[in-house]
Amino acid sequence: MQTKDLETELDKQDQEILALLKDYPMPQASAAYFDQALMRATHEGSRRQRNRWLVTGFGSALAAGLVLWMIGGFFLTTPDLPLADPTIPGITMTLEEPRTINLVFASAEPLDAATLTVQLPPGIEMSGFPGQREVTWETSLNAGKNLLPLKLIATSPLGGEVFAILRHDDRGRTFRLRIDVS
Amino acid sequence: MSSINHQQTFEKLVRPHFDRLYRLAWRLTSQKAEAEDLFQELLIKAYGKLDDLVKIDEPGSWLSRVMYNLFIDERRRFARRRMHTVEEGEMSGDGLAGLPGIDNPVRDHERLEQLIKLDAALSKLSDEHRLIVLLHDTEGYKLTEIQELIGVPVGTVKSRLHRARARLREILIENGTFS
Repeated sequence: MQTKDLETELDKQDQEILALLKDYPMPQASAAYFDQALMRATHEGSRRQRNRWLVTGFGSALAAGLVLWMIGGFFLTTPDLPLADPTIPGITMTLEEPRTINLVFASAEPLDAATLTVQLPPGIEMSGFPGQREVTWETSLNAGKNLLPLKLIATSPLGGEVFAILRHDDRGRTFRLRIDVS
Repeated sequence: MSSINHQQTFEKLVRPHFDRLYRLAWRLTSQKAEAEDLFQELLIKAYGKLDDLVKIDEPGSWLSRVMYNLFIDERRRFARRRMHTVEEGEMSGDGLAGLPGIDNPVRDHERLEQLIKLDAALSKLSDEHRLIVLLHDTEGYKLTEIQELIGVPVGTVKSRLHRARARLREILIENGTFS
């Protein structure tokens, strides 16, 4: 075959391949599937956020590690948010040694779509969030005790204060935890 | 924002992009079950990032990128179950009715045979070549859209597309689709 003919043949083949690719089929999803997927996403998304830090087995959590009642803090006196205590609790961590701190929030009533922001001092990191000084979750609180396990690691001997800021609608409360590093 | 408001806001942001995202999931995974898993996982992840999503100018592009990254993270799980044949019952629309030349059954059959061979040929391409060909030549994505999705320069997208088409042509000649 002459060169020009070969090029023409390739062009023709390319065009046929492109036409074939344009026809390459795929099934259509139904409107019902999309509705179900949307419903599952909102339910599952909320559940996952809750499960990040709500633990129902409070007794087993007590046995698993240190439990700090995060009732230190300041501002706002909204009655349906967890109450604050003026005392700032504290712990001592060992440098570069991960430690799980279980934060307990007691709420008088269920709270949906609350947000919890954890702010870390320099030199304290949260497992899974290296280098991040602030992490925010959307979550819900059950009536009663709600537990948030935080796996922390001290990467410097500076220590400092961890702030856990709980917000619901336009209300909020800040809890504090003092960390010393040995 | 209440839980119901969250859901309504989320739906308003994501629903307009469902068709395109579902198609992307299908092109990434090549199988219905995996495409649906990936689509579902995207929605769950996106719902958890609603605070970010409401601030984004082009949520469709953002959602596509998140889906692509989810796919890459779980590529092994999705890729192992790739479709190898095109079943008539899985054709778009009403199967053969969705193909050109419906008035000519012989041509329809030939077309279906070609599409089955195309499917087999595509499965022999590397993942990155296959995806670029499908996104550009089948789904009509622009080169810049592919660049944004997979995070490589346009020049790289172009060269991959060129190589992918050349390889696809070789395979289709080898399998007798073209002589």
